[in-house]
Amino acid sequence: MAITSPFSYPEEIKDKFIATPGLKFKDGSTVSSAEIWEFMTKEAPRRFPYAFDAGANNMGRFSDDVHFLSGIKRGYLTLTLKDRVMKQHAAGTPTVLVQGGQAMDAYYAAGGIPVRPGLVMQWARNMEEGLSLRQSETLGLNILESGRRKISIDACNQIAAHAAIDNKVVPIDLIAPFLCLRCSDMSFLVETHRNRVHDIPRYLVDYPVDHENKPWAAEYIAVELRELIDKIAALSGRKITDEVLFDEIKLENRGRRIATEIADLWWGAENPPTNSTDFFGIAFLANDFVGDPVAAVDLLEQSKKEIEERIQNNVKGFGVPDHAKRLFICGSCVGPNAHHAQTAGAIFVGRDDSWSCISVPVQEEGDPYLNIAKSMLAYPYEQRTEKRAEWTADMVKRSRADGVIFMYQWGCNYQSGVARMISDIVKERAGVVTTFVEVGELGRSEATEQSTNRVEAFIEMV
Amino acid sequence: MSVKTLDVIRKRLEERPDELRRARENGLKVVGWVGYNVPEEIIHALGFIPVRIAIGGDDRLVEIGARYASSKTCVFIREIVGAFAENQDPYIQQTDILAFDATCLQNYRAAEVIEYFFKKDVVVLAVPRNFHLDEAKEYFAHEANEFTRLLEERAGAPLDSARLAESVALYNDIRKTLKSIYTFQASKDNVISWEEVYDLIQAGDLLDKREYLSLLTQTLDELKERQHHPVIASDDGDCRIFLSGSLIPRGDRKLIGIIRSVGGRIVGDDLWSGILPHLDLDIKEISPAGVALGYLNRTPHAALPYLDLESDRRLKKLQERLSEFKAQGVIYHTLRYCDPFTFKAKETKNVLAKSGIPLLEIHTEYAGSDYEAMKTRVEAFVEMIKIKSEIAEEQGVLVDA
Repeated sequence: MAITSPFSYPEEIKDKFIATPGLKFKDGSTVSSAEIWEFMTKEAPRRFPYAFDAGANNMGRFSDDVHFLSGIKRGYLTLTLKDRVMKQHAAGTPTVLVQGGQAMDAYYAAGGIPVRPGLVMQWARNMEEGLSLRQSETLGLNILESGRRKISIDACNQIAAHAAIDNKVVPIDLIAPFLCLRCSDMSFLVETHRNRVHDIPRYLVDYPVDHENKPWAAEYIAVELRELIDKIAALSGRKITDEVLFDEIKLENRGRRIATEIADLWWGAENPPTNSTDFFGIAFLANDFVGDPVAAVDLLEQSKKEIEERIQNNVKGFGVPDHAKRLFICGSCVGPNAHHAQTAGAIFVGRDDSWSCISVPVQEEGDPYLNIAKSMLAYPYEQRTEKRAEWTADMVKRSRADGVIFMYQWGCNYQSGVARMISDIVKERAGVVTTFVEVGELGRSEATEQSTNRVEAFIEMV
Repeated sequence: MSVKTLDVIRKRLEERPDELRRARENGLKVVGWVGYNVPEEIIHALGFIPVRIAIGGDDRLVEIGARYASSKTCVFIREIVGAFAENQDPYIQQTDILAFDATCLQNYRAAEVIEYFFKKDVVVLAVPRNFHLDEAKEYFAHEANEFTRLLEERAGAPLDSARLAESVALYNDIRKTLKSIYTFQASKDNVISWEEVYDLIQAGDLLDKREYLSLLTQTLDELKERQHHPVIASDDGDCRIFLSGSLIPRGDRKLIGIIRSVGGRIVGDDLWSGILPHLDLDIKEISPAGVALGYLNRTPHAALPYLDLESDRRLKKLQERLSEFKAQGVIYHTLRYCDPFTFKAKETKNVLAKSGIPLLEIHTEYAGSDYEAMKTRVEAFVEMIKIKSEIAEEQGVLVDA
């Protein structure tokens, strides 16, 4: 499929790259930058050629900013997810399907690896190696369609992850997401696993809506968290104490703090120090930790240093257009193509979904269960829509955005239902133009004209 | 010969919007409620006039609603939003306060959208997903108290326990009478049709509750006069259809009309716009929490997940009702983007197939464009059931011979 040459990292940055620190992992192992370089320039292009497709429509395309070295390590964590999870799983670590946009502290603390639907699909597509972008997408679409045939055509793309689990493409040991948080399909999809041949254990952590000033909501979640942790611990064999939980909370809080600091640095910079792909890729590490919070936090620290240096030297990220229009992105599970947007003269400066989770640390003293519950109930994204929109407007102002795009995928009932409301409120409170776009081509790099045209037209208008 | 009280009810429904307008002029307030777990007795006991907002069948309103919610919102909710946008529905025009529950999350979104765009005073009752757990019940009890507090603020008076007891008794009588009437529609000498009973149930969403109970009692007396002991059994050659799935509110009679037009006879339903919410409601304690828990402990709405098939009380209830009403097939109605019901269609079909009950899923919207396609499918389904019955009958005759 690739008409353009595959993306590759130039040899001239090798020495500089391998002089940087490697990455530490939670099992105590490390990987050197030289090893990362070998993987990203030799092994990964062979095993995962789709990821190196340089076509502009490749949503998962790597950053062109090869001099932002943390970006290469970010790519490494993405492409090694499969190997790392499979290795740990083989050693007895349970894998748990969770929801996107939720805290992972409890899952990691209990000795599990939480994977949200997006990561499940990335993992599922990587189970077959040597695929071109088209082949990889076809594989993903086949899984998606098998799910739709089994359940419903009305289901959002998340059904692909559930089908990947059903079809045993990836091994998941427990299905235990938070419900109601950002998505209404999740509860019905978890329920569909009850009549499968392989009876994967299921548990739901109910996330109460309309929970403001209701202490009983946190108490309810806290009880469920204990049950959740017991279930994961029973699979992992790990003994869970408050101390174990607090250790994990402290680690993930550190990640959240660094990501927030990076955002503040980035927003305050005269020139955007990275392009959209790197900015979002790095910040998102503090949201789901890509299977390894230790490695994620390590990379966040390295990234922060690199961004600080760039800001000090007034370096603009490669690919960032001159006088770029600054766009704030809203909505779950899908976003505009960063490369297209850059070509059209825009850069992404923030995202309500992932920032929401990152912006709320968990208290490090007291009852860890209640603390996690309280932090989750404080997510700005999960407040009443009007309050959420006010927070979004504040983020838009802080990030000096010129416009807002609210995106949701086909079949999404819960976010799409308030897309206009949020867009209208943000427009009024932040004084910027807004639009909302439905995306039907998630997971495909073909027939993307509809959303691309709308995004580009919006950028032009901004 | 038609049941005379039904004509009275139809007339009273025509007069009801004006009646509500006059009541409001006299200082009473109307609470429009939307959902499955809204404890209506609390609204009633606080002196409000409860009116259920459940309308469907108008594609134009669906399109209007999509401008405020989205085209991916379920058809029913889109129409509700569209109706508030247009503000022409006589009952919507008369609402002072809205009470939504969050049983279905799309309902919750509708509450937010209607509150924001149409400046309505909205009260929300959150509903736990893990509804069967003790901690969820404890949580819901708190929610019920909070819901009551918000309504008390609007009523300007606290909830009186004696009045709540009266409301509970009144509603219990309504439910009991409805259940008795419901038996008649499925009986051999069909003195009242399911369609008439369905309209009768939905009339209760709008009429004054005391008057409604009186009209129900009159209806039941009339029915008893005509048929002393209704026996649920098949009439010769009828095709007994059970209706399940997404709700069918007033204004939406497309599928119901099609079933009748092709010779099917509906003999039961478990729709949340039908008899289901009136079944198994056992209020053990006269308090907001007691009433709300009574609601939560009924057969749950499909939006509340059961993680184990074996424990699913919805399916058990469906199977019980199929057997009770001697249904020969299920038409499972799913509205576009009504995920709670749509996602369970295939599974329900497989479960029922084990007991030899065929299921036809009809996935539809409020547009008329799929009318003929639906008709063809329903007709084929009805024909199939009839042929199956004839074969069974012939085989029975042969065995008897």
